[in-house]
Amino acid sequence: MTKAVLLSLFVLSCAPLAVQAQTSTQQPPARSAASAAAAAKIPTPGEFPPYKPPHTGDGKPDFNGIWQSFVTADIDIQDHDAQAGPHPDIMGAYGAWPGGQGIVEGGEIPYKPEALAKKKANAEKRMVVNITSDDRRHDTGDPELKCYRPGVPRANYLPFPFQIIQSTDNIMMVYEFEHTLRTIFMKENDKEAPKEPPADSWMGWSHGHFEGDTLVIDTTGFVPYTWFDRAGDFHSDALHVIERYTLVSPYHIMYEATIEDPNVYTRPWKVSFPLYRRMEKNVQLVDFDCVEFVEKMLYGPYYKNPGK
Amino acid sequence: MGNRFGVSSNALMIGAAVLLLPAFILAQTKPGVAAKADAKTASAKSPEKKAWVLPRTPDGQPNLQGYWTSLSFTPMERPAKYGNREFLTDEEAAEIHKEGIQHSYEFTFNDLAETPVYDATVYALSAWQEGVAPNKRTSLVVDPPDGKIPALTPEAAKVREAARRHGPNQDYADPNAPVKADVAEDLNLGERCLSFGGPPILPGAYNSNFFIVQGAGYVMVEYEWNNETRIIPLDGQAPLSQGIHRWHGNSRGHWEGNTLVVETSNFRPGATFQGANAKTLKITEYFTRTDQNTIEYKFTVDDPSTWTKPWSAIVPLSHMDGPIFEYDCSENNNDAVNILAGARATERAAEEKAKKISQK
Repeated sequence: MTKAVLLSLFVLSCAPLAVQAQTSTQQPPARSAASAAAAAKIPTPGEFPPYKPPHTGDGKPDFNGIWQSFVTADIDIQDHDAQAGPHPDIMGAYGAWPGGQGIVEGGEIPYKPEALAKKKANAEKRMVVNITSDDRRHDTGDPELKCYRPGVPRANYLPFPFQIIQSTDNIMMVYEFEHTLRTIFMKENDKEAPKEPPADSWMGWSHGHFEGDTLVIDTTGFVPYTWFDRAGDFHSDALHVIERYTLVSPYHIMYEATIEDPNVYTRPWKVSFPLYRRMEKNVQLVDFDCVEFVEKMLYGPYYKNPGK
Repeated sequence: MGNRFGVSSNALMIGAAVLLLPAFILAQTKPGVAAKADAKTASAKSPEKKAWVLPRTPDGQPNLQGYWTSLSFTPMERPAKYGNREFLTDEEAAEIHKEGIQHSYEFTFNDLAETPVYDATVYALSAWQEGVAPNKRTSLVVDPPDGKIPALTPEAAKVREAARRHGPNQDYADPNAPVKADVAEDLNLGERCLSFGGPPILPGAYNSNFFIVQGAGYVMVEYEWNNETRIIPLDGQAPLSQGIHRWHGNSRGHWEGNTLVVETSNFRPGATFQGANAKTLKITEYFTRTDQNTIEYKFTVDDPSTWTKPWSAIVPLSHMDGPIFEYDCSENNNDAVNILAGARATERAAEEKAKKISQK
């Protein structure tokens, strides 16, 4: 059991509380009749009143801010029960994984039959770590366990915040988890950012554009090593993710990702969930560089005294 | 396609080693060789200077955005031969620039047998990462005026000496020196993919590249090394308490005229510039865009428990072409495996040898 997993579980288990706190503080004081009426209407989950987002100086919806999801999809993007985590004998409730509702629209992931078998094998071997000095190191084990870059869209539902830095030509997404970084190229015909990915990468090669007030990001050029969750859901290097970010209130982005990979699925499928603006006074990202927390797990077999 | 990104892991050990050797030392080891490179010269840039207007972001900040390199052939401290001279003549500056470029070519194409992995062409890089412009300064250090980093305090000198004696694997000058690699913590922070340092922004032998993006109220600086980022809020946010420590410290920025001033503290013990005291180190950086292709980058290091007085240096940041690619490091850290496995193999070989001798 690594500190990395432990910490993320801790954050996950706090998540429901944080959501409650946020919604309760958002109710305006009921002074006038109008605001009293507004306050009296309890928000319906999944529904947002019509909203026109503020725009940046160059006239685009303003996504700047620190955002975080509160789903439990990192454990399983499909519906799942709470479960004991690894080593409950010493980890107790610290190591237990919460249950939660999935984020997959329609509930099912349209795996090809052989791919479904691989997903199951992945899940069984999610904690089998065998580090070699070549690509075989990626054959088994959840990349999250090994503190590898989480890929897309998993980075957006890890239990860690990320910050959007939005400029005209590039939108940066900086993740607290392992200082993962995405550059979204926004400029058309950018000579520094060719349309086709020059190479494969963990976070992919992303071009974005606006459709009305929705930020649409098209990402390809992925390595085949990232997973979508601890349940072994996976993709190949043919993965193509189309994301849609829409500001639906001052405090929420509705996030949607369409996932295509003809090597693995019979048809495209979709996940969706809200992202919440982190509102703590002076909120900022800090470091979660889990690399230092996984060294013994990864390289222990090569240590002078492997058992110690 | 993994090969492209394998540069990080394959070249990492060497990369970490070379980083410790400022480019200028390498550059000056082989003087007098004519440059094959078509070097950019200072005069090539001067016509555009006249008409240049400082660009601004949509929210009105001076625009520092884009890809920049801190590569430099200027030594950190002023060589004795220049005495109190702060600036080179144009001819001297051009000559040093030519030599630096020449060395970059040699470094790439005539690599030592010990470092066969850094053939830049394998990774589709150009032979030298162009963009760097001649620098007329005789040293990066500009204050104190003698161009030398001030003396260490007696306590800091003691700490540094102890670190030198106990610090593992720092003797890159001798590739045959024994390597202590019992556990991952024996490797250096770069080999462990934990941090490649900074602030301040300094020239390294390669990969000295940066991407600056400005959002409303924020400046982000991405370092090519490991895609490490610093997010600098500009809105007067209170400093962090001493309860939080960060690999690159924690930065707060503001504009003074057209200069971005960034103050950084909250460093992590063991991950500070030149081994300074994480508790007392404060680094102040000044970014001023002086033309389309240049940011004048000045930094002041203030740590009364390490240096007898504060000191400052100026590193010109030169425009370069993007993009900066993903730099996967821990994901394919073959060096950690190979260094540790190599140390075990060495131990086994020594044991075998000892056995044979005792059997004789």
